[in-house]
Amino acid sequence: MATIDVDGLGKSYGDFEAVGDVSFTVGQGEVFALLGRNGAGKTTTVEVLAGFRPADRGTVRILGLDPVGDRARIRRRTGIMLQEAGFFPDLTVAQTVDAWRGFVAAPRPRDEALELAGLGAKTDTRVRQLSGGEKRRLDLALAVLNRPDVLFLDEPTTGMDPEARRNTWQVIRDLAGQGTTILLTTHYLEEAQRLASTMVIMDRGRIVAGGGMAETLAAQAGRVAFELPAEVSPEDLPVQVTAVEGRTAICRVEDPDLAAQTLLGWAGERGVRLRGLEVRTATLEDLFLDLAEVTGPAGTASGGTTVRTSAKSEVA
Amino acid sequence: MSVRDLAVVTRFDARLFWRDRAALSTSVLLFLGLGIGLPLLMDKLRPGSLDLLVDQHVGVLAMVLVISTFNQIAVTVTARRDQLLLKRLRTTGLGDGSIVGGEVGNLVLQSTLLAAVISGVLYATTSLPVPRDLLLFALAVVLGSAVLCLLGVAFTPLVPRAELAAVMVMPFFMLAGLGSGGFGPMTQLLPDWAGTLLGFLPTSAMAELIRVAYAADGTLAGDLSAAAVPALNLAVWTAIALLTITRWFRWEPRRP
Repeated sequence: MATIDVDGLGKSYGDFEAVGDVSFTVGQGEVFALLGRNGAGKTTTVEVLAGFRPADRGTVRILGLDPVGDRARIRRRTGIMLQEAGFFPDLTVAQTVDAWRGFVAAPRPRDEALELAGLGAKTDTRVRQLSGGEKRRLDLALAVLNRPDVLFLDEPTTGMDPEARRNTWQVIRDLAGQGTTILLTTHYLEEAQRLASTMVIMDRGRIVAGGGMAETLAAQAGRVAFELPAEVSPEDLPVQVTAVEGRTAICRVEDPDLAAQTLLGWAGERGVRLRGLEVRTATLEDLFLDLAEVTGPAGTASGGTTVRTSAKSEVA
Repeated sequence: MSVRDLAVVTRFDARLFWRDRAALSTSVLLFLGLGIGLPLLMDKLRPGSLDLLVDQHVGVLAMVLVISTFNQIAVTVTARRDQLLLKRLRTTGLGDGSIVGGEVGNLVLQSTLLAAVISGVLYATTSLPVPRDLLLFALAVVLGSAVLCLLGVAFTPLVPRAELAAVMVMPFFMLAGLGSGGFGPMTQLLPDWAGTLLGFLPTSAMAELIRVAYAADGTLAGDLSAAAVPALNLAVWTAIALLTITRWFRWEPRRP
């Protein structure tokens, strides 16, 4: 049985369809990334999964339970880091965690939760005096306080400095390693690529790409970039140039290693030097931008998605 | 909703309440100032008028209980709703009933405590007699406070923004004071129909229950009979409040 099972989920606000026909499953101990631009329907999906809103269509099961009907039972086994939620500003960090320990079953010790979130040195600081990133860390400490089986993280590292972000990544990896199923939304694609083993990309409430992270990216065009020599025009090259940014030629190719070898062989025969050569496989950002190109700017008319990918409109 | 969760939230909310100076100055100081001051003034102006003094005390008590229950909970809940604190509390293992019920429990306790302080001070400093039936008196305060708290929660869907809550609850406070006799016997100046309508308010029922506790010649059968109608009134208001909360209560601000 999947830990998270979403089948044909739909949610509307009045006439506006925020989420339409979304399906995916997430297995135990998996880190699953739910990606998309602002307004794609990620937060609505998370809020339905977390039981804050009932689904209008389709079914959702978390640990085999209905998030709305069985909310009390699910809450005991889930942790939620909302994209936006308030704190009691006059309480200190320690007082906040202490209060929350009374609200959950079998909580972690306060110090363990704060160390885990990297807030051990801030115990006596009032919440109103915390920075945005520190508040996110306190959010994380509260979300994991009950040692959840399922953890919903809605943009967990927004506002964090690079060190805190990396620490949070490690916490997420450790929790997944211990068997916690994690559903993550983020605008940091590097974060999603590093952490998630599976993902979907949503656009206007629908899934436009998805699947295993490694397989999906492997199916994408890789990238070879280099400084275009002054005496060479893009048409002279043996590999098709997709774009020229300043003096940098960019080739999107299925096999970037082969393309690089071809280019270097061509350059060697002509005594031309290719400076700044960069060869890499596709990243999630490449996929994301490709999809954005196909689907158009958010809020405009949508077209059929034909990005070359292993993704499908539904991931089941 | 478990008793344990209710107790935890009640304790947490009490802690927040007593460290909030703004809440203390409006809810507690105004409560004590009016609750003690007006009957004290009446005792000085009309010494020996025991019936008048009891009426004034009962009316003012019902009126100030609106401040510490209906007004306070409406302001607190809308602020927590708009600051997304209710939403955060719902991410915990607490049930929805415990989140709201804990705050109701906290304010009922505070109000009962403050009502006891007011009454104690007045017994000690004026000619106000101690009620014949203290248990009924306490029961009226506790039940009345609980109903007013529930009505305060039920009122919050009407409040679009937290900053409007304090203003929007004032008409109810004024009507409650008028109906219960907190502003003096002003209902006598109103048309009959207005007096009848005000009599349906929960504060009027609570004041009526407290007056039964003060009635000098009461018997158990007589008390039960006299308390039946106001008790029914409170039960109806409780049902209305719970129905409204179930159907229309919002845990988050309305989406733009």
